[in-house]
Amino acid sequence: MSPGLHNEDAGATDLDLIRRVAQGDELALAGLYDRYGALVYSVAYRVLNDVGAAEEILQDIFYQLWRTASNYDASRGKLGAWLLVSARNRAIDRLRRRQPVETTTEGIAASLDLESSVARDELMAKVKSACDGLPLPQRETLELAYFGGMTHSEIAQRTGEPLGTVKTRLRSALQALRQVLNP
Amino acid sequence: MSDHPQPAEIFDEYALGALEGEELRALEQHVKDCPECQGEVQKARARVALLALSAPRTAPSSAVKERLMSRVAAERAGSAQDRSRASAPAAAQKRGSFWNWGIAALAAIVALAIATGVLALRNHHLHTRIQSLESQQTQQAAHEERQAAKMARAEAILDVLTSPNTLKVSLISAQAHPVPQGKAFYNPAKGLVFYAANLPHLPSSQTYQLWLVPEQGNPVSAGIFATDSRGNGEVLLPPLPPGIAAKAFAVTVEPAGGKPQPTGAKVLIGAVS
Repeated sequence: MSPGLHNEDAGATDLDLIRRVAQGDELALAGLYDRYGALVYSVAYRVLNDVGAAEEILQDIFYQLWRTASNYDASRGKLGAWLLVSARNRAIDRLRRRQPVETTTEGIAASLDLESSVARDELMAKVKSACDGLPLPQRETLELAYFGGMTHSEIAQRTGEPLGTVKTRLRSALQALRQVLNP
Repeated sequence: MSDHPQPAEIFDEYALGALEGEELRALEQHVKDCPECQGEVQKARARVALLALSAPRTAPSSAVKERLMSRVAAERAGSAQDRSRASAPAAAQKRGSFWNWGIAALAAIVALAIATGVLALRNHHLHTRIQSLESQQTQQAAHEERQAAKMARAEAILDVLTSPNTLKVSLISAQAHPVPQGKAFYNPAKGLVFYAANLPHLPSSQTYQLWLVPEQGNPVSAGIFATDSRGNGEVLLPPLPPGIAAKAFAVTVEPAGGKPQPTGAKVLIGAVS
């Protein structure tokens, strides 16, 4: 349990909390923030490397959750997935000064269970060890694509490597991840 | 099928956003008409989403949560004020059926809601100032402007209510010992406003609790409330599941903090006519 999580809300499901948020329950929003705030912030900060900008994205995402909780449709994706994908997309939009693109989490529903802290820690350990197991050039290429939001040719330009090398490295990295992280 | 995009990792590259040019165009063209590959794209999106978890865990400053919660509280106060104002004319049309103190009560509700709103807005204004000094951002300007307009209107109304030249007419019970009374204004889509008068003072170990008795099922708590020195209390726009059909409202005396279901003596009850 994260410190500061209201005891009464620690066991509540995301769906319970989001329903309460939809009814205007501020404590339920605080409960979801305690559950996911650090994850959202970590992703935004990893992309932007800027405390102020990452904090702004964190606040905006939860404020949007407050405003739109009544439209939340559990069948279209789990809340944890939506928050993580939103954090990455918004941070990259900001990094690249792009027009924001709408976050879609359809289909991510079942596989990304972040609701319990145990499942969250387990999954995080799995992902980290999978990434740590990659050869460094593959890992860097993957990180430029994911946290930098770069295409093949943008990575090639950034690293000075030939396009073919970039593609091979990215594919090898993704192939390894498919084996470990197959949902 | 042999003409599915190859290799399998191309779906992950697509989900990452790394594909471009002809490769991207060809994949999108194919996926559009191929349910099997649409499934592959979804699976790839799920895999790629997991990469977020590889970000080093960093804790945000606690100030972010404070700013978020004060932004949310300010908005709640703003919309509660709008809703009270919007419901006032509709309620006033039914004044023939009001109890004799109904209009005074309604005025008190509106005044109280506005005063609460103004205080919350002022509070919000301070928060916003601190925030803008901290972050040196001007994004809040439009938001502030709207809040300022709301505040100006609320203050104009409050000015009428509090100005020395304003006639103040209080209506009191004709009875020597006024009896406890309550009035609930309930709109299943918009919320509940409840006002009580002449309730006996309770010790700090007890509280009044308002219940919405639905047409079906157990009573739903609409919140606890305290009374002032004159026995007046109110519950304004409590969080309730939307759309409940109400059969009655009741007030009970419960232990401090309230109870999930009524346990104490009913001091007020009123059926929906």
